[in-house]
Amino acid sequence: MSQSSVKENLDVILYRRRRAKEIRYCLYAILFLLVLWSIKVTIIKDTDWDRIGGLGSVIRGVGRFFPPDLSIVQYLFKPTVETFMIAFLGTMLAIILAIPVVWFGAHNITPSLPITYPIGRSIMTLSRSVHEVVWALIFVSAVGLGAFPGILAVSMRSIGFISKVTAESIEDVDARSLEAIKAVGGNKLQIIFYGIIPQVIPVFIGNAIFQWDINIRRATIMGLVGAGGLGLTLERQLLMYNHQGVTTVILAILVIITIGEVISYYARKAVI
Amino acid sequence: MKLDELESINSSQNTVKSNPTLSITSPQKTWSRFKYPQSLIRYVIYLIVFVFIVYSLEYLNVPLGRFFTMFGRLGDMIANRYYPPDISYTLQKDYLRYVLETLQMGYLGTLFGILFSIPISWFASFNVTPSRRFAYPVGRFIIMACRSVHEMIWTIIFVIVLGFGMFPGVIALTMFSIGFAGKLFSEEIEAIKLGQIEAIRSTGANPIQVFLYAVLPQVRVAWAGISIYTWDSAFRAATVLGYFGAGGMGWYLKETVERLETLKVSAILLTIISLVVVSEVGSAWARNKISKMK
Repeated sequence: MSQSSVKENLDVILYRRRRAKEIRYCLYAILFLLVLWSIKVTIIKDTDWDRIGGLGSVIRGVGRFFPPDLSIVQYLFKPTVETFMIAFLGTMLAIILAIPVVWFGAHNITPSLPITYPIGRSIMTLSRSVHEVVWALIFVSAVGLGAFPGILAVSMRSIGFISKVTAESIEDVDARSLEAIKAVGGNKLQIIFYGIIPQVIPVFIGNAIFQWDINIRRATIMGLVGAGGLGLTLERQLLMYNHQGVTTVILAILVIITIGEVISYYARKAVI
Repeated sequence: MKLDELESINSSQNTVKSNPTLSITSPQKTWSRFKYPQSLIRYVIYLIVFVFIVYSLEYLNVPLGRFFTMFGRLGDMIANRYYPPDISYTLQKDYLRYVLETLQMGYLGTLFGILFSIPISWFASFNVTPSRRFAYPVGRFIIMACRSVHEMIWTIIFVIVLGFGMFPGVIALTMFSIGFAGKLFSEEIEAIKLGQIEAIRSTGANPIQVFLYAVLPQVRVAWAGISIYTWDSAFRAATVLGYFGAGGMGWYLKETVERLETLKVSAILLTIISLVVVSEVGSAWARNKISKMK
């Protein structure tokens, strides 16, 4: 009696397992077909294989980038410093602008849940979802050419990340210390200042430094759409078909990013 | 008055506990979180940051006055030139085909990138790398180079070498995904438990078998989440890759921007934003589900 019921249960379990397996294999097959279809559309049909030619012409195409044109090194110093500064100022602006967004977008400290919370959240999503090139295009048409739209674009892009991570860490802040402040009669503002800010400030600063590191990378392409920095030099070399100069600019980008990574590593170590 | 007394007693007790010799000479010592050299260093850092901000504002010639007039101008511009967005333009069959192609480009680029970054991240994680002297620096360098060069610069390079179209876009996204996923993958490998590796190795397995049976099962779930995140970011990049000559929606963006057809530009931007938001919500949902499977 009991043995047959055990056997029935076993059958049910085995049947379910088989079903799950079948479904999974079906999914894999669909994914595989999707990949094949995409390869057919994007790589086989869309590409002009005659233009690419054989392997030899590709290698010749790559060869045009070498050796790097070292004669433009002397003109690279100023744009490199500019890129560095765009990233730095953009991050600073993002830090300032992120504070109200964090305040609005954190579930437990937002001033009013139905109004400000959705505003904060949607600013975070919008800032993260729009690519920095698009931000730069918008700001170039709003404030004109130069480093300023680059700074604005870089900062708009990094507000989202900084404020999202900080708001998440505010949401799971240690509630006991907030209760202690409430117990001695602190009002809402005092709770934020003495209970929440000391707990989340390392997260906030750490993420800001991390974003600064990424912002250097973003600042290098701002020049391609009209905001200054190394991208402008790159664009100029491209327009002159000086591909060897392009390699030099990319080497300069590698150097500046390595420096930024080293600085951010030690700065984050010092903060956390 | 009473509070003051209490505080002074408190502080003197504190100093007695921490430093009995000092308390005799200076009983009024107040408590502060940062002691003398640290507090000085902090203020010096603040000062350096501030001076650097001012100096770079000066160096870059930033017209700060424009910052506040900017909002008015931005509002004007959006109200007069970018509104109403020309939605019917984005509903054309050609454009929708390009949207689909953008999706495929992002998908393929991520797929190739992840396939490449599996061996590269194996090489580039210090604890399981096949040889610390050769494979580790090579793997690190590949990830570093792919990460430092922005995806738009990769696109430009591949467009120069391979010509316009989807193919250079796919390769640029592959490079982007190697840098993005490779770093996160190798960080994940470096955090695994070494016991399993030793166990598999002691049965006489070669390095590939160690990777397949000891490393991969431990990082599988985390890698799935990272892959979805990579796909999300790569799709975000794919929407504008066309601006520099690779195919997809970015190509339409460039065309309309250069013709100053602002109503169409705003419609295209709206589709980009809505698609990216949809993909982000989807990827957040999927990542949540995967992290629960752990």
